[in-house]
Amino acid sequence: MVLKLYAAPLSTASLRVAQILHEKKVPFEFISIDLARKENKEEEYLEKQPFGQVPYIDDDGFILYESRAITRYLAVKYPEQGTQGLVPDIKDVKAWALFEQASSNEVANFESLARVIVYEKVFKVRIGQEPDLKAYENAHSQLSAKLDAYEKILGKQPYLAGETLTLADLSHLPFGTRLYLAGAGDLIDSRPNVSKWFKALKERESWKEIEKGITTSREEW
Amino acid sequence: MVLTLYGNPQSTCTKRVAIVFHEKQVPFNFVAVDFAKGEHKSPEFVAKQPFGQIPYLDDDGYIIYESRAIARYIEEKYAGQGTALIPKDLKAKGHFEQAASVEVFNFDAYASAAVFEKLIKPYQNLTPDIAVFDALIKKLEAKLDVYEQILSKQKYLGGDEVTLADLSHLPYGSLLPAVGSNVIESRPNVAKWFKSLQDRPSWQAVKDVVAATA
Repeated sequence: MVLKLYAAPLSTASLRVAQILHEKKVPFEFISIDLARKENKEEEYLEKQPFGQVPYIDDDGFILYESRAITRYLAVKYPEQGTQGLVPDIKDVKAWALFEQASSNEVANFESLARVIVYEKVFKVRIGQEPDLKAYENAHSQLSAKLDAYEKILGKQPYLAGETLTLADLSHLPFGTRLYLAGAGDLIDSRPNVSKWFKALKERESWKEIEKGITTSREEW
Repeated sequence: MVLTLYGNPQSTCTKRVAIVFHEKQVPFNFVAVDFAKGEHKSPEFVAKQPFGQIPYLDDDGYIIYESRAIARYIEEKYAGQGTALIPKDLKAKGHFEQAASVEVFNFDAYASAAVFEKLIKPYQNLTPDIAVFDALIKKLEAKLDVYEQILSKQKYLGGDEVTLADLSHLPYGSLLPAVGSNVIESRPNVAKWFKSLQDRPSWQAVKDVVAATA
């Protein structure tokens, strides 16, 4: 049975998973969840994803949620097809652990701050609320310091986990692209190594196919 | 060469790693980083950990940081000994990764921020913002209501066996009473699960301070 992706077209976590389905060339059926109508809070949805968040997958009866769990599952389930090495082989414990280090950095040192910037300057504006400029500036200056560390790391190696592209790099795309919508793109653009790295990620076909939103199922590749 | 953990004896993230050393029965050296002197921002330190954060691990020249990554490294390197903390089967592993992600986004995000607000800020001569604290606890409570459901059907967050995902909750979860929050105790399944984690010898060994075992 074709894998089912229950997701919202423009949700950051949904895009994170959709990109990896593209990278790994996994056929999938896209079931669009309407967040505005709170479809994710309906009982039928909560039975599968009890936190009421998007996305989740149904892989022939196997239900999985949390975007970074789903992307790891796909990378490990389909090691030979599509882009390889997105999660290093666990038998190379050191390489795999460096990937997990980069993944943890993405969550703790990038998304946690980028999310605040995007929330204040993009989401709140959309719903007609006043941005908390202090929260925005605080997050902006903290993220700036973190990206100084990224600039050093990417001066020594092309990708965050080492010599090859992994999920840790790709995971930055959903919130990274939204920094530009928040008027904070300079955080990336002002740092040559970070900028070069991010630009290459953005130009991948897998991102270009979904950057304007997940719109369609993909039954074959 | 014995593995050396660089951290702070009472830091939550340092404890998160130390628990795993004990679970896997792996001896380790411990070097306390002098926070008061700003040692974590020194050029020598930043050369190893570019974000200037603790802990980090030195395994005979191999450096790894981020507590949850260090924990994974110890688990996989010593997979043959001690408690098995990450499943091998594809689907069970998927459920582990799901639980690990839930710990970070649906627990730690709120619990660590709440602890920072009420417990850490005073140490930095900052005034806790009670409205912020209350909002964080409210969100945490909604998430723990879901934990209550999940833990009514299975023993641990990822299934019926303990994993790193469960253990990762210990450092901040154990500090919630210190900030006046009983969000864990007030939910029977969550309380039972959490107590079983706290009763483990690995937590008992590190709950007050982390010390070398080598």
